[in-house]
Amino acid sequence: MSHDSSFRPRRFVLGQFADSDRLLLATRQMREKGHTGLDTHTPYPVHGIEAALGLGRAKIPTIVLLGAIAGACLAYSMIYYMNVFDFPINVANRPQHSPPSMLPITFELAVLLGGTSAFFGLFGLLKLPEPYHPVFEAESFRRASIDAFFLSAEVPEGGNPADVAVDMRTFGSTEVQIVEESER
Amino acid sequence: MASTSTAAAPKSTDPLEPALLIEGAQTDASLNASLFDHVWTAPGKGWWGLFGIALMGLAMLGIGLTYTLYKGIGAWGNNIPVGWAYDIINFVWWIGIGHAGTLISAILLLLQQKWRTSINRFAEAMTLFAVMCALLFPLFHTGRPWFAAYWLLPYPSVNGIWPQFKSPLVWDVFAVSTYFTISLLFWFLGLIPDLASLRDSSKSPTKRMIYGIFAMGWRGSGRHWAEYKWSYLLLAGLSTPLVLSVHTIVSFDFATSVLPGWHTTIFPPYFVAGAVFSGFAMVLSWMVPARHFLGLKHVVTMKHLENMNKVILATGMMVSYGYVMEHFIAWYSGNPYEFAVFFKVRQRGPFAPIYWLMVFCNVVVPQIFWSKKARTNILIMWIAALLVNVGMWCERFVIIVTSLHRDFLPSKWELYAPTWVDWSIYIGTIGLFSTLFLLFLKFVPAVAATEVKELRHEMAHHAHGATAAGEAHG
Repeated sequence: MSHDSSFRPRRFVLGQFADSDRLLLATRQMREKGHTGLDTHTPYPVHGIEAALGLGRAKIPTIVLLGAIAGACLAYSMIYYMNVFDFPINVANRPQHSPPSMLPITFELAVLLGGTSAFFGLFGLLKLPEPYHPVFEAESFRRASIDAFFLSAEVPEGGNPADVAVDMRTFGSTEVQIVEESER
Repeated sequence: MASTSTAAAPKSTDPLEPALLIEGAQTDASLNASLFDHVWTAPGKGWWGLFGIALMGLAMLGIGLTYTLYKGIGAWGNNIPVGWAYDIINFVWWIGIGHAGTLISAILLLLQQKWRTSINRFAEAMTLFAVMCALLFPLFHTGRPWFAAYWLLPYPSVNGIWPQFKSPLVWDVFAVSTYFTISLLFWFLGLIPDLASLRDSSKSPTKRMIYGIFAMGWRGSGRHWAEYKWSYLLLAGLSTPLVLSVHTIVSFDFATSVLPGWHTTIFPPYFVAGAVFSGFAMVLSWMVPARHFLGLKHVVTMKHLENMNKVILATGMMVSYGYVMEHFIAWYSGNPYEFAVFFKVRQRGPFAPIYWLMVFCNVVVPQIFWSKKARTNILIMWIAALLVNVGMWCERFVIIVTSLHRDFLPSKWELYAPTWVDWSIYIGTIGLFSTLFLLFLKFVPAVAATEVKELRHEMAHHAHGATAAGEAHG
């Protein structure tokens, strides 16, 4: 089969806004108008963007909690297995199973697994690293990490990007462009 | 190096007007330009000069460690009874220095202290490098580091033996390795948006590609920020008890033994306070020259320096309280060995000069920061910070060597003197630290530009909201 028929480039409408307040407002209006696949691109986190995009609760806290619990359980059972069950050492007849001496490592491993799940869980959730994304096609998008505020909307298959662009311009975008995924 | 339009901020003479965290009229673009300037411009003569000195230090580390591996631990000054000396003194010293980074980045974040923003990246990098230096000492003290993994980690070897988890030294292994890992992840997570800015503001395709690889395709997505903020906050939340636990566990190495001068319950809080004390002093020792040479005076303002001096004063007082309590308990307990260590051996013994130097640097010197003049004088604070570094090193020397060299049996008493190998490794780690730090200052923005932009935005919004009756804020 040929490349031409199998590859359907994803299309995005990318609108730039003068400041974060206008971006927030336009995001809410676009969403209320029924546009899907919306995302904002800002140099720093903008207060209120989650509500404007209609995002649910963040998933990271649950992942971290599970990671930390797993770390604590792993540590405690590891120490128990090694020092009580598999290779007990009798030092001055102290108890083999001595919880106070097991707490430091239990705590450390809870932090270690909690922290690594905060980090790697984040990249799993965000599907990063993702070196290529169609929004990078726009040259002006370089400013998204420096000082500019963008709103992107993925155009659904069969949709007309021009319609989305018109809406975005109505809601206050200073510069609207349509970008298309390039075939690699 | 960097001379943006911000050099001369109007100095207010009104003492009631709060000092600024960001000076001059800044925009996101001007901050981007001025904070990344030192990454894009070629390093000057000063950087090369320091880098040369740092490399000489690194060479000393190479020589010292090679000789240690060739000769064995006998090349060091350690003897019986002083079985722990420079290796553990320097280990504790470096770990303590690292603690300021975590304190600034994590605890001040949780306490919503806005002034942390300009200095956290810098201090976190310091944490990483300090912990690397610290790790070298216990590793080489094992004598055969290539076997260390078998002894220290729960590795399923054919011998079927496991580490003794009731030993604080094994706790140390877990605490310090966890500390290093979490600090690295936290630092890198905070760096990602800045790496994306570097990618996007780079002029050459090679630099764009290199920073692009590390930026991992970050595109400032709102959906990403929503999870990212939680991840960053939770890492800070985990780091906070972690940093307290690390130095607590380090102090357990001493406190769980029965040696006079070590066997005390005040050690964990007193070690943590000392760690923050020395760490802030180290941040200040580097920050004062760095803000000058990297052109960061508009974001690392006098207010930041003054706040750091206040923390040094506060933690210095805690450390002094620790000293007073140790001596009081030594007298009040009526234990003759404790009394002898604190009132005879340390104050009048062969290492008395180091003890009194410690008292001078850690108790007397920070008191200068009661005066606002001293807190805002660059030269005074820099010298005081260097003296605190010296003082905290002396404290570790006093704790470790004086307690060991005169314990219960007079027939065991022995003096201690470091050899050239000890000195070479110690100075070598300072070289390693400086090398890594200078490379960091060259390749990575020393100030978290994304967070400074966010802070500027927040402050502008507040000022705006005050006049416009905050209509945009829901």
